[in-house]
Amino acid sequence: MTSRVTPEQLLARAPHEYNLSGGFLGVLRGIPQNLCIALLKLYRTIVSPLYGDVCRYFPSCSAYALEAVTVHGAVRGLGLSVKRLLRCHPWAAGGIDRVPAGGREFTSAASTPKVVLLNHPNLVHQYTHDCPARHAAQGANAR
Amino acid sequence: MNFFDIILFPFRWIVSAVLWVFHELFTLIGMDPASGVTWVLSIVGLTLVMRTLTIPLFLKQIKSMRGMQELQPEMAKLQAKYKGKKDQLSRQAMAEEQMALYKEHGSNPFAACLPIIVQMPIFFALFQVLRSVPQAAQGNESIHVLAPQLVHQFNASTIFGAPLFSTLMQPGNGNHAATIILAVVMIVAMSATQFITQKQLTARNMSDSAKESPMYRQQQMMLYMFPLIFAIGGINFPLGVLVYWTVSNLWSMGQQWWVIRNNPTKGSQAERELNERRAAKGLPPVGMSKKEHEEKVEEQRQRAAAGQRAQPVSKKRQKQQSKKNYG
Repeated sequence: MTSRVTPEQLLARAPHEYNLSGGFLGVLRGIPQNLCIALLKLYRTIVSPLYGDVCRYFPSCSAYALEAVTVHGAVRGLGLSVKRLLRCHPWAAGGIDRVPAGGREFTSAASTPKVVLLNHPNLVHQYTHDCPARHAAQGANAR
Repeated sequence: MNFFDIILFPFRWIVSAVLWVFHELFTLIGMDPASGVTWVLSIVGLTLVMRTLTIPLFLKQIKSMRGMQELQPEMAKLQAKYKGKKDQLSRQAMAEEQMALYKEHGSNPFAACLPIIVQMPIFFALFQVLRSVPQAAQGNESIHVLAPQLVHQFNASTIFGAPLFSTLMQPGNGNHAATIILAVVMIVAMSATQFITQKQLTARNMSDSAKESPMYRQQQMMLYMFPLIFAIGGINFPLGVLVYWTVSNLWSMGQQWWVIRNNPTKGSQAERELNERRAAKGLPPVGMSKKEHEEKVEEQRQRAAAGQRAQPVSKKRQKQQSKKNYG
């Protein structure tokens, strides 16, 4: 159990989104997923700041795509991202639209990647307030 | 024809038809069909028809802006809640709550631009028709409803000696001085009207709380960007297109003035002015029935009579109140 950490510290220490689990074969299988993650991160560093906040949803389309690929893998993640992009058009009402739960789960704050923390800001506040009883439930709520 | 042209085809057809109708009408009442004045008036007529048709879209835009303004108090609360929290996570949390708020009120700041998008094809079609005149005349082609002979006439018509389809950069073979003077006057006029329209909107019709938002700063930037864009673009537009744009901007200015005067935003300078005008006529402030207003004034008077210290009031308001109470 980490002693009290501020949300800023938690965010600064958050692990990267890449999936490197499962030994040599796992890494080999994770190539498409990690490639997508790398491209999305590149997009989010270079292109996103040029626009500012323009998406009608929270999280924004690129944040949604990054989380979807991180959590669901390349194929399902990209499928979800395309569906989301189709939902994001001038006639859409917008609102909060989260990535559904997927294969990768993060049980503790320290193991949750940055984009998931950013997309679930309230989760972080729960993590940073010491409350072991709640932590158990968070595995299920995390996404 | 590419995809864009196919979409615009019906709009272009309508534009050419409206031009044709106006030209026939002016000819019918005895104007010279080949005269530049007739063609300029036809363009003006076309502009007025187009702007009248897009009034509902304008009203929708206003409504959506009002919707945004109505949730301003809640937005201010949200801003106060996250005041001083500059870290990324707090900003994300704030963005999330804002989104929920927009959804709840059914208005999204990114939806405000929809009416503008809907107007786009009409304006593009109009530009395409006007800009295609010289080329069509050269190729002896018709432009939808306008027959080749009419296109020739349109292309050859001049106003004060300046060909209708000459530009500031390429004055053509007419009176160069006239082209340059007309183009400069219209470019200045359309930049100025655009600036005034925007300025009116931000200075008089925004609530004081809205003026503290980043959206306001963005609008302030647009205030100076648009006239600049007009000035730069204007030197390459033929006079006929400039006529359209100048008239259209004048219309926008009038439309805006009317709305701001008669239906101002809550808490804006324009609303205070409207209430002052209403008070002078003996009418209650906007959004209050006469009875409600009288009750409020009566209540104030009783409270004052009960010996409670009255709130300090400026001299101006003192005068107004005494006018309301005893006048």
